[in-house]
Amino acid sequence: MGTGLRTLHIYRYSRLVERRASKLIDPVERLRYLRQAMRAGAKVRVVDLGRAANCMIVLALLVLLPLSMGTDAGQARSLVQPAAGIELPPQEDIMPVVWQVESAKEAESYSNGLRIDNRYRVANQPRGYWAFERADLGRKRWRRDPAGIVFHTTESHLSPFEAEQNHKLKRVGQWLLEYVRQNRSYHFLIDRFGRVHRVVEESDAAHHAGHSVWADQDWAYLNLNASFLGVALETRTEPGATPGLTPAQTHATRMLTEMLRHKHRIAAVNCLTHAQVSVNPRNMRIGNHVDWAGGFPFAPAGLPDNYALPLPSLELFGFEYDSTFIRASGESLLQGMLAAEQRLGREALESGMTPASLRGQRRDRYQRALAEMADSAGQEKGS
Amino acid sequence: MSTEQTNHTGAVGLDIGTSRIVTARHGQQGYRYRSELNAFVSVPFSKLTEIALRKDNVPYAVRGEEILVHGNEAEKFADLLEVNTRRPMHLGILNPAEPDSLPRIRSLLELLLGEGSAGHELYYSTPAPLLGATDGHTYHEESVRRMLMELGFQPKSIHEGLAVVYAEMENSNYSGIGISCGGGLCNVCLAYLAVPVFSFSTAKAGDYIDASAAAASGELATRVRICKESNFHFNGRQQEKVHQALNIYYDETIRNLIGAMKEAFSTTRSLPRFNRPIPMVLSGGTALPRGFAARFEEILRSAEFPVPLSEVRLAADPLNTTAKGALLAALSES
Repeated sequence: MGTGLRTLHIYRYSRLVERRASKLIDPVERLRYLRQAMRAGAKVRVVDLGRAANCMIVLALLVLLPLSMGTDAGQARSLVQPAAGIELPPQEDIMPVVWQVESAKEAESYSNGLRIDNRYRVANQPRGYWAFERADLGRKRWRRDPAGIVFHTTESHLSPFEAEQNHKLKRVGQWLLEYVRQNRSYHFLIDRFGRVHRVVEESDAAHHAGHSVWADQDWAYLNLNASFLGVALETRTEPGATPGLTPAQTHATRMLTEMLRHKHRIAAVNCLTHAQVSVNPRNMRIGNHVDWAGGFPFAPAGLPDNYALPLPSLELFGFEYDSTFIRASGESLLQGMLAAEQRLGREALESGMTPASLRGQRRDRYQRALAEMADSAGQEKGS
Repeated sequence: MSTEQTNHTGAVGLDIGTSRIVTARHGQQGYRYRSELNAFVSVPFSKLTEIALRKDNVPYAVRGEEILVHGNEAEKFADLLEVNTRRPMHLGILNPAEPDSLPRIRSLLELLLGEGSAGHELYYSTPAPLLGATDGHTYHEESVRRMLMELGFQPKSIHEGLAVVYAEMENSNYSGIGISCGGGLCNVCLAYLAVPVFSFSTAKAGDYIDASAAAASGELATRVRICKESNFHFNGRQQEKVHQALNIYYDETIRNLIGAMKEAFSTTRSLPRFNRPIPMVLSGGTALPRGFAARFEEILRSAEFPVPLSEVRLAADPLNTTAKGALLAALSES
């Protein structure tokens, strides 16, 4: 990782920590939070993907500490310690109310203005998946209802969004739809005109999430193709920028999200972006895919800022992250990563372990759960 | 509620300075401080003297043919007997030339702290290495740590300068420069979001001023010190020879300190990028004379300091700042 990038990471992390600290009124609480957050930042494990071997690169403030080792700053009890300021306030989850107004073979409409084009609908393998109890992934339950939504970018070719380009825009959109249909990639695709296309049936799995993990308050989900609905937005991530959406796409995202949440009773905390859930089990890094690692319009979509949710991949499944992911991440997602690290650190403290050993334990647990899923693939069992 | 209060009252901040030892605790009435002079004086033993000391609750110890009076009363006895006090510490650390240093400090700690109990967090101040030196003060730090453990505490050390930052820089999220101008050393710490970036000390401090002024004026260092702390100030013309000498050696000490800070900034790699000017806070007994902060700022401005400063000010309670900062460190751990 280059010096410039490291400096950028330090800067972003520090700004985030400082902003949070400023909200703490009690001087002891503020100091406690800062000391813990900066210790955590100093030891964040960053692996440069460009190198074959794991190399411990001290991300943030280790460069700032050399004269203080052996005294206060050098006496961290563990890698990460609990931070009073990092807990996220519970968010009110108001379930939208939407009903179907009309349904026909080619299209359907809903009370919030949503219209779904069914011309490209296609069946795939019926939905069915194991949900694991969050606490220890020990017990599991076979489920058929979608647990959440994963938002994707298509990363496809984009023509300028101008009237003169209309013909080209339509043609590119159609090619994309055909491709998505052929590969059963997503359940829904929202094109640049804000038109919502149903692709894979809601009752079936789609190949949208690959290796991925998520967890809500009670359940943990592994490999979300079946457990989560995939919604793709026709856009792409340009280097150094977040994907752009047309106003029509943003509006359609909100309407579709409202409808799906109401229909399947999906909690807001289970509406995520692909970058938040994507993992690579081979190297145990998160962010195998980084689409919507930043800039997803959660608020316009009628959702809370779910980027700030602690990432279960880091907290519960023993994954780590690398410089590529940090580079792609928006500030909110960095906040979610920090929150997850803090929680892991606290649990380690409470159980008298180092975060590294707890992380190792969580990895083993994840691998066991994966193996269980593979063993019982296709079976429909109760817990 | 009661648990939290118990924890808070259990935490202790301890400033072990060359001149004074100060403790800080937090209770329902806010911060509480106790201090004793880190000095003692030897008085020839007599039964009568011992009875008088005991009657007046003066802390003392009998050693052979002498009585060692330590703490705040030592200075009075020294002035009475026209002798210099003996100092368990020199230049911020245990005085290698004083064979009684450890027992005397232990006596003072027992007096100030009492017995600790398992689980009580205690942060004690230590001096940073002298600028340019690579070694810290391992012997001093470890000796004090063991002594505190024997008293039943769980001690951790904190550099004096960082303690000043913790005590005074809440409003800047604990970013800034904390300076403790003590008896043996001046300690400096640049911190960024509560993390020390660099800490160092300089050997010209209060004792240097006292000794130099005493040599120039022909007075005892102890008497110069009393004079300095009672009525010396920076404003106006100095009539007395002692005051003139103090003025000169204060200026030299300040210039030396500012020069050291400039050197530290120029030689430290990976300085953080401050997005706004940072505060500088002065504390310690040597910073007490009226006009010290203004004089310091005046010299600082003429020295073209390399970092933009939002303010240069005296700590709210200069004699207790380090202890308070150490206490905050302890509280933030508990």
